[in-house]
Amino acid sequence: MSRSKKKRTIVLTAALLALLPLLAACGSGGGAAATGSDGGEAGGASAAGTGKDGAIHVVTTIAQIAEPLSVIGGDRVRVESLMGPGVDPHLYQASQGDIRKLGSADAVFYNGLHLEANMTRAFDSIGKSRPALAVGETIAQDRLLTDETGAVDPHIWFDIDLWKDALAAAVEELKKLSPDDAAYFEANRRDYFAKLDELKEEAVAKMSSIPEERRVLVTAHDAFGYFGRMLGLEVVGLQGLSTEDEIGLGDIERTIDLLVERRVPAVFVESSINPKSIEAVIEGAKERGLNVRLGGELFSDAMGGAGTEEGTYIGMFRHNVDTIHEALAGEE
Amino acid sequence: MIGLSHNALWVLVSMLMLGTAAGLVGCFAYWKRHSLMSDALAHAALPGVVAGYALLGFKSLPVMLLGAAASALVGALAVSWIRSSSRVKEDAAMGIILSVFFGLGIMLLAIVNRLPGGGQSGLDSFIFGQAAAMVRQDMRLMTAAAAIVLLVVLVSFKEWKLHLFDPAFARGLGLSGRLMDAAYLTLLVVVIVIGIQAVGVILMAALLIIPAVSARYWTNAFGTMLALSALFGGGAGVAGAYVSTLESGWPTGPFIVIAAAGIFLVSFLFGLRKGLLLKAMQRREQMRRLRTRAIRSDKLTEGEALP
Amino acid sequence: MEPVANMKKPEPALQVHGLHAAYRRNKVLEDVTFEAMPGTLTAIVGPNGAGKSTLLKTMLDLHPRLGGEVRFFGTAYRNAKLKVGYVPQRGSVDWDFPTDALDVVLMGLYGRIGWFRRPGRRHREQALEALAKMGMADFAKRQISELSGGQQQRVFLARALVQDADLYLLDEPLAGVDAATERAIMETLKTLRAAGKTVMVVHHDLQTVEDWFDHVLLLNRTVIAHGPTAEVFTPDNLARAYGGWLRRKEPVPR
Repeated sequence: MSRSKKKRTIVLTAALLALLPLLAACGSGGGAAATGSDGGEAGGASAAGTGKDGAIHVVTTIAQIAEPLSVIGGDRVRVESLMGPGVDPHLYQASQGDIRKLGSADAVFYNGLHLEANMTRAFDSIGKSRPALAVGETIAQDRLLTDETGAVDPHIWFDIDLWKDALAAAVEELKKLSPDDAAYFEANRRDYFAKLDELKEEAVAKMSSIPEERRVLVTAHDAFGYFGRMLGLEVVGLQGLSTEDEIGLGDIERTIDLLVERRVPAVFVESSINPKSIEAVIEGAKERGLNVRLGGELFSDAMGGAGTEEGTYIGMFRHNVDTIHEALAGEE
Repeated sequence: MIGLSHNALWVLVSMLMLGTAAGLVGCFAYWKRHSLMSDALAHAALPGVVAGYALLGFKSLPVMLLGAAASALVGALAVSWIRSSSRVKEDAAMGIILSVFFGLGIMLLAIVNRLPGGGQSGLDSFIFGQAAAMVRQDMRLMTAAAAIVLLVVLVSFKEWKLHLFDPAFARGLGLSGRLMDAAYLTLLVVVIVIGIQAVGVILMAALLIIPAVSARYWTNAFGTMLALSALFGGGAGVAGAYVSTLESGWPTGPFIVIAAAGIFLVSFLFGLRKGLLLKAMQRREQMRRLRTRAIRSDKLTEGEALP
Repeated sequence: MEPVANMKKPEPALQVHGLHAAYRRNKVLEDVTFEAMPGTLTAIVGPNGAGKSTLLKTMLDLHPRLGGEVRFFGTAYRNAKLKVGYVPQRGSVDWDFPTDALDVVLMGLYGRIGWFRRPGRRHREQALEALAKMGMADFAKRQISELSGGQQQRVFLARALVQDADLYLLDEPLAGVDAATERAIMETLKTLRAAGKTVMVVHHDLQTVEDWFDHVLLLNRTVIAHGPTAEVFTPDNLARAYGGWLRRKEPVPR
């Protein structure tokens, strides 16, 4: 290859490589021209109701907030969530596209309590120019769970009562943004909360039907603390509250000990977490003579695909309850 | 080793085998002056792992490992291409490939993690490793890898010695340098690809580099160096893995690296051939002799310092 | 009286015809043509960058050839490998490598020992003999990193000797060695010549060419002159080969 041709090839390749990040950003963000640094206002006005059809543009982090709000807000809101199905919010890093999305919202809702651990800076700067509410932090401290180290368990959406309060706080914010629709929001909220009450009754009933000694829920990480508290299950996570730490051999062995001691029939993997460590637990238990089944996949930090039953908060919750019930209450 | 659970056994044996294989191959890399290359290739494997998942749409370990091997090899080719067709020196070429490929891998990872099921694929665990979750299958795989490496080393020991010392002369005798390099690269990629599941892309290089370097301080024979390197690698693997079991939440990969570093420190200070302590003692002995001679020839009186 | 018909013309040990080679983008060897006969000891001389090392490497397929033909004893190199002994430059290996002198000499026998086999006692004895010929028998177990430059060179030559080749190519074997080593090496080469072997040496010191070598190849990218030293090693040829390089010293009349 002649020298100039070689140079051209190198330059072309370098240019192509440099383009790839741009493509990725477009893919996850939405294609608008990049102007963004943190919290830049790239197109949305901050006054309420000035989006398409005058609907309030709401951006949330997790879908557990987004989906219920889209039901309660009806056609008066347009809701998006940054984290889709299968995404782990503990590890999630906001991309430039996400920042732009946040910047274009009329209101931002997130869980807080350190769930979206890598996004605190983004929230702080967004909060300066528009309402950014950590719905989890509106709950009174004494109602929250903490672990041995004193860290607060952020997975509050698994306690239906707590979640009702958190959603209510978000709805209040919506009412402030569009006072004309306050009555509309209130009515929807009441209907939706009635459904949530039904869900809770159903869950309590199903879980009580599991024999006492089998009410042990073993999952990949400690996401189900509130779930267990509400429904009378003992909850054991392989990892702690966050998926940030690596799982140690001690964690696996401790879990196997518990399984063998309590003769737990099933363990569960999660939709957003690598199942390899749970598989190691199952194999280790098998060596000790206990045939632990893989009870199924639970939704822990994320929900199911958009448009599916499990993509809704109620559907997701119900899926978890049914899966657990079937695995633990069923014949061994 | 009382009361070792099955999981602990699988992890310890896996790490022993991996450490041994890495120690052997790392010794070759050391004498090829390619230690940085093993780091570059380990990092270069990341985009292949992610692509292996992304293209298939679901998690399949063999495919991901194949992807890792392929992208590591592409990285190796890229390094030779850069070296042969430009002014860039070898270590800079390796640095370029290491960072570009790793960056590409992280970027692909970010994309995949936004897809449904992306979090389940376990791709993140390839960065730092997940040694604690080794099961019987993994143990078998690592033992097989170690066996293959050991076999190749033993069978063609003198060929490796010749090729590493004087490749031009070797070519003259009919030992194809290309064949040896291909074999070496294959072994390296196999060890890397199998190892990154356990200790991750970032720490794999430590297991390839540190045992070999430590062995150098103890011996002046190539065969002994290979044996010691394997021993140190395996020892670090087992020791690190064992320590990580003592407390919950302690990550296995980093502890293996610390164990290896500990072995290096001991070798550096106390190594029989080039250790610091030995050198200090030798120097002291030389000074003593010098003084004695100076005193004897009346150039110095006792108690006086040497000029 | 010997019938004339039975006297065969000796075959050249080495025939090079029209050899071309480049290094990076520079032409290093241009249309190199010469023949070397058995029983000769030839010095290859020329200015730096003249392509002397490259010539050896290209002939031995260690460097890519851009054109031309090379024949060893009438055949291609790959068929004559056992007959050719190569002693590369001392700086081409890492002498820190953990091995001893005997081991290095043994490497010369690897071709004969066979792949995947261990060296036997007989091989070790042969290696020891070769070391002894170079006066290095006492250093057999010494680490090569502890050897002086001259000793390392002797080990390299012992390695070549043990191959029992018919053609020896040496790349600057006398560079940086002491006088005793220089003598030892040249005596060994003369012994080889007397035994009918062909020896070609890339040599760096013009002052000693006439002392040791019966033939000279003057190289500066192409062959300036080649032939018996007395005929070819003239001031004119040297001027042509070295151009402005040479600071001429008048040779001391003997």
